[in-house]
Amino acid sequence: MSDPARDGFGRERRAGRGRLSRAAFLALIALLYAFLIAPILIVVIASLNAGRFLVFPPDGLSFQWYVNFANSGPFVRSFFFSLRLAALTTAVATVIGTAAALYVVRHASRNDLLRMLLVAPLQLPGIMTALALLIFYYAIGLGGTSYLGLLLGHVLVCTPYVFLTVSAVLYNFDHSLEEAARSLGAGRLTTFGRITLPIIKGGIISGAVLAFITSFDQFPISLLLSGVGTTTLPIQVFDYLRFSFDPTVAAVGTISILITLGVVIVTERLGGLESLYWGSRQ
Amino acid sequence: MRRRRPWPLVAPAVALVVVFFVLPYANLVVMSFFTPARTRPYDPLLTLSNYTSVLTDSFQWWILWRTLKLGLLTTLFTLLLGYPLAYNLVRVSRSVKGILLVLLISPLLVGVVIRSFGWMALLADNGLINSLVRYGGLAPQGFKLMYNEFGVLVGTVHIYLPFMVLSLSGTLETIPPDLVPAARSLGASAARAFWRVVFPLSLPGVFAGCLLVFVLAVSSYVIPVLLGGFKVLTTPLLVVQTAVDVHNWPGAAAQAVMLFAASLACIALWVKLMNRAMRGLPG
Repeated sequence: MSDPARDGFGRERRAGRGRLSRAAFLALIALLYAFLIAPILIVVIASLNAGRFLVFPPDGLSFQWYVNFANSGPFVRSFFFSLRLAALTTAVATVIGTAAALYVVRHASRNDLLRMLLVAPLQLPGIMTALALLIFYYAIGLGGTSYLGLLLGHVLVCTPYVFLTVSAVLYNFDHSLEEAARSLGAGRLTTFGRITLPIIKGGIISGAVLAFITSFDQFPISLLLSGVGTTTLPIQVFDYLRFSFDPTVAAVGTISILITLGVVIVTERLGGLESLYWGSRQ
Repeated sequence: MRRRRPWPLVAPAVALVVVFFVLPYANLVVMSFFTPARTRPYDPLLTLSNYTSVLTDSFQWWILWRTLKLGLLTTLFTLLLGYPLAYNLVRVSRSVKGILLVLLISPLLVGVVIRSFGWMALLADNGLINSLVRYGGLAPQGFKLMYNEFGVLVGTVHIYLPFMVLSLSGTLETIPPDLVPAARSLGASAARAFWRVVFPLSLPGVFAGCLLVFVLAVSSYVIPVLLGGFKVLTTPLLVVQTAVDVHNWPGAAAQAVMLFAASLACIALWVKLMNRAMRGLPG
């Protein structure tokens, strides 16, 4: 066999070429990560930029866009509205998503069908779901843009995340722990509170975090279902961006990025990112 | 005796999905057969006119074609950019992988509107890239980077890239790491080992990732609006316009059903192609 790697010279040359192509590959990877992070970094930089547009050479540092945000009634109102809506959505979605996961993983016989049904809201485009809901609300007399309608829409698209992350943990759950507790005389509720809940806590927290972020950043559902007095932050930002390029948006964006980041760091401490990763794949 | 199943646990979630998801979609399909009206959103009289007017309108077809084309291009580019990322991700050490995963997922956790703003600041006529181009004297006019299909494509590729990488890395992880050295020791070049061993085995991930990205991309709304600036009209934009601005619900419903049918047709074609490509693979 006349493989060039067999003789010393060929092996050296080939190793050199291998190093070079490996360096090129790593440079490509670095570029791709830069592409992924770029717009987010730019938002943070634009929020601290003195000028209206980011230019080179830069205009200098300023906090005026944050001051603008704090002084803007509509932005502040929609910011707190979004936080409240996301908190309520998370509470509801976490309870019903966890309960559903407990049932599907442990008790359901046709569990594939149930699983498919429960994650279906993630499979169809949000904007179409929003349109279908808008028309449906009108048909049942709930009114196009009520708070209840908006909340139900948010809960609908957030619950699957909780369901997925909690199911993931439950599939790896050692049932003998519960049986041991029961055989030692613990009641069903005590077993759930003292054994089951602490073990599946990580999955519940990851699910709740995903639900919160999904609701806080939710766009399509809110676009068609929010009305006067129920304007969420993304919709407020969108309305601004449609007609003008206002860096106040960058300040708002940076604040929401910080909130998200804080929530993710806390989750990483509590439950690890693995289940988050699993949930966001769907 | 069998224990009674605690069905009340699952009842709220099932009720939610059935009442506020299955029924509204069923209602949407029914709506597409109703008659548009002037003074209210629709008249409950059955008709096929919404479909005949959508199907005979060349403008509708042209918009649908652009929607599917942008979806396909997005899928293609996320695959091209996502493959190296996924390949790298499954080969790094555990601690590096944790950091890369955070980098990969963090864009997913920032709202789509904020991300679009980031791209606007970069791509606008007086944005950062054009400012650099002018500063460097490359092109005094700068380049037209958004409010066109290019801008939309940059935005959609960016948003859906993490989904593609996660799908691909899921499959790449299952490929035994000794296969490449084995192929190399039998005389295959690095490129040949990749194309004949690794790539065919990763086809299930390619299949799933492309499907996911295509479905998400053809229905994206925010990116075409903000980075296309209403100059790049796609079917989801048209559907919302028809429903909210024109107040023609039956027409909007028929357009939505058309989009679903067209994407299903593309998916069916893709499934058929991939089945042929994956024939002969183990498992």
